[in-house]
Amino acid sequence: MPLDYRRFNGPEDSIPYKRFTKDFVKSYDELFKELLDDKGVRKDGRALSEARSMCMFFARADMVSQAKGSAYVELRKTKVVCSVFDPREIPHQNEFSELGQIFCEVKFAPFSCPRRRRPHAPDAEEKALSVALRKALEPSVCRHMFPNYQVDVFIYILENDGACLSAAINAAGLALADAAVPMYDIITSCTVAVIGDKMFVDPTEAEEYLATTNPDTPINHGLLTLSTLSELKQISDFIQIGSMDVVSVTNAMEVLEKECEKLVPLVQKVLVANVLKCFAQRKRLEEEANEREKALNSKMEEWKKLLNAG
Amino acid sequence: MAGLLLSPTEKVFIVHGVQDDHRSDGRTNIDYRPMELETNVVSHATGSSRLRLANTDILVGVKTEIDVPTPEKPDLGKIEFYVDCSANAAPQFEGRGGEQLAIGIAKLMQAAYHSSDAFDLKQLCIFEGKQCWKIYVDILILECGGNLCDAVSMAVKAALFNTKLPSVKAALMDGGNIDLQLSDDPYDAKSLDIGTAPLLVTLCKIGDKCVVDPSAEEESCSVISVVVGVTGNPSSYSTEENVSDSAKESKFTTIEMVGSGSVAPKTLKDAMNQGMVAAKLLDKALGEALLRERQETQVKTKKHSYGFLR
Amino acid sequence: MSSDFNVKRPGLELLSSQGLRLDGRRPNELRRIQCKLGVFTQPDGSAYIEQGNTKVLAAVYGPHQAAKSKSLQDSVVINCQYSMATFSTGERKKRPRGGRKSEAISMQLTQAITTAIKKELYPRSQIDVYLEVLQADGGAYSASVNAATLALIDAGIPMKAYLCSCTASIAWKDGKPEPLVDVSHVEESAGGSVLTVSSLPSINSVAWVDMSQRLHADYLSVVMKRAMQGCRDIEVILDKAVREHLGESWTMSDDAVAI
Repeated sequence: MPLDYRRFNGPEDSIPYKRFTKDFVKSYDELFKELLDDKGVRKDGRALSEARSMCMFFARADMVSQAKGSAYVELRKTKVVCSVFDPREIPHQNEFSELGQIFCEVKFAPFSCPRRRRPHAPDAEEKALSVALRKALEPSVCRHMFPNYQVDVFIYILENDGACLSAAINAAGLALADAAVPMYDIITSCTVAVIGDKMFVDPTEAEEYLATTNPDTPINHGLLTLSTLSELKQISDFIQIGSMDVVSVTNAMEVLEKECEKLVPLVQKVLVANVLKCFAQRKRLEEEANEREKALNSKMEEWKKLLNAG
Repeated sequence: MAGLLLSPTEKVFIVHGVQDDHRSDGRTNIDYRPMELETNVVSHATGSSRLRLANTDILVGVKTEIDVPTPEKPDLGKIEFYVDCSANAAPQFEGRGGEQLAIGIAKLMQAAYHSSDAFDLKQLCIFEGKQCWKIYVDILILECGGNLCDAVSMAVKAALFNTKLPSVKAALMDGGNIDLQLSDDPYDAKSLDIGTAPLLVTLCKIGDKCVVDPSAEEESCSVISVVVGVTGNPSSYSTEENVSDSAKESKFTTIEMVGSGSVAPKTLKDAMNQGMVAAKLLDKALGEALLRERQETQVKTKKHSYGFLR
Repeated sequence: MSSDFNVKRPGLELLSSQGLRLDGRRPNELRRIQCKLGVFTQPDGSAYIEQGNTKVLAAVYGPHQAAKSKSLQDSVVINCQYSMATFSTGERKKRPRGGRKSEAISMQLTQAITTAIKKELYPRSQIDVYLEVLQADGGAYSASVNAATLALIDAGIPMKAYLCSCTASIAWKDGKPEPLVDVSHVEESAGGSVLTVSSLPSINSVAWVDMSQRLHADYLSVVMKRAMQGCRDIEVILDKAVREHLGESWTMSDDAVAI
């Protein structure tokens, strides 16, 4: 990877001081105990099966004025901005492609992660997220409508507190709709972290971390992300890592499907609100234009009178 | 892969055949093509294998190095996968043409080997926090005849089975540094414990059905495949009878969807179950073949190597 | 020659008192060459060659229409790519190709192969030759040339003659120069200059020559002679392999007719 010379970097073999703080030397069990209290309530007060709500206030379309379409999604501490740009001809391509392409780029803000500062250049995780996002979006967009063109989708993760891929997919779905890119269906996505028999819906970063570390005893653990086209009853992407048996995966899938279903009305609401807002804005602009024309006309009348008189 | 052109009629023939559980080379939907496997083919590598699955040809070389473990995981070694698509396989791979495909496969392998249930990195530890083995698994794709993922995962498991780490004879402590003395004796080495190493199974969705081991022609008829990584059964890879690990069930270590299409939830679940069954059988067959080869080598003391000369 | 003078020369220890080399060969003895044509089905031509521990795979695609930017009006364009597997050398390589060295070798291969092909037969066309070194133990370039020749023959591309390549180096025995043919990696790294010759032995012409270090002009002709002799020896082996391969496919088609 090319070195970042513009910023001040520590020596290559240095160890961050955080490594020696209390949080780091905790064992697996201690970390696990921290996630849930005795009543089975999570650290941030949610129940196990409770997702962070993506209500109207925290999700909206049309955020970035320069972009054709954009969206912002906030799930408590996970904050994602997405912007979509007009279709343009695919650069550096010799052959004609019958289907349009979606170009995705996911970028973490340098201050987005609690564990370490993000490097400037795109790293492996960002690339992996970009690929996963593209795979999830491809089936939902009518790509035959813009052959030989590509739509650019840029995701900027302001803050990452788990489930950033699902947040990115949800935001991208909203932004694509806002940009009036033809789509087959609303795309929604959700993540689940599995540790033993516990299923953490919409996990935070700490939960995700523990689900992907290796436990001391061989229990089911893993992270699953599912994105669906709910009206078409189709799964556009499904990713699992970790180590889980069949039953556990199947259960998690059912939970995920339900959660994705739950998100649809929320997304619809955001989109409707956005359209209403656009209408209102257009109406206001039209009214303003009418007023200006009226004022101008009356001025003209005045001048005409003056001319005729003079 | 290379200049594969199918007419619409040919595609219809393949799709209809699959619906009737009949494929153009006479297999049913759950059959694999015959394969050839040979280990210890590259003398410069610590472990190596070559797998030929019909037209798909994979060569894997394993190299080891001594490295410093990461501060977060002082007791774990490292494993890294690198895939190279040789231009021998297809002229499109010339230069950096095969990079996208290569990175995709490498990432799948990395995800499949992530969990300790799949591959225990603790066995690579030499001195906790100071020194560990780093295993480079270099995969060379020499010919593509469909179903790369399955072939790669099997060849990798065989190459790791063939890998022997030299034992440490002495360690000289000098201040904070450790100077290791490794044994020169090729027989004074320990094999890796790879019984649980995962195999990938690709399930290619053609029409409404899923097939295992798709040929290149079949792959071009499909828009989406599900790739599952399933852990192996250690008892298939050990001659000792007392390994009573039959309780260890197979688990999913990774599930991913490859391609631009989408699937119905039921198809996905069926595919996962089908993949699990296929992976178990494949793992058993691979274990038998590897043990047989090892035995033959021991009896004859010097194995006649075929390499590419057969 | 005084013994003092001899000590400074590289390649002194390359021959034992019996006149044998480190791996037990005589100075004019090639390493064991095993080869096979048609190892793959997808390329138009393919070949595999083992020269001792050096193992090379070659694949040929074409002739096909050349890209517009490269296309030549009156002859064929040879496009060559040389890459080494990451596990082919003692130390792991970071990249299989794209480095300066492999780019240079690709160029040299293109030059050597271009001389041997009847270029004028395929105007506005292109032939791709891809070489993959699986194991490098000295003379990887030579083995690549030989593998490319076999793959081109397998692809049925008309050539003027067999293009063979061989390396030679020099050692001293009893103070007298003794050229070594087909140099292995150990001998290469022991020092001394290595002469690589690609030639068309049957029409007695040289396609490409390279020398890695300085060599006294007096000895050049001896070393060159040995390398050319090596090329001639290799030609015999390649010719045998081609005939065997063709014989095999002929008998196979005979069987098919009989059935």
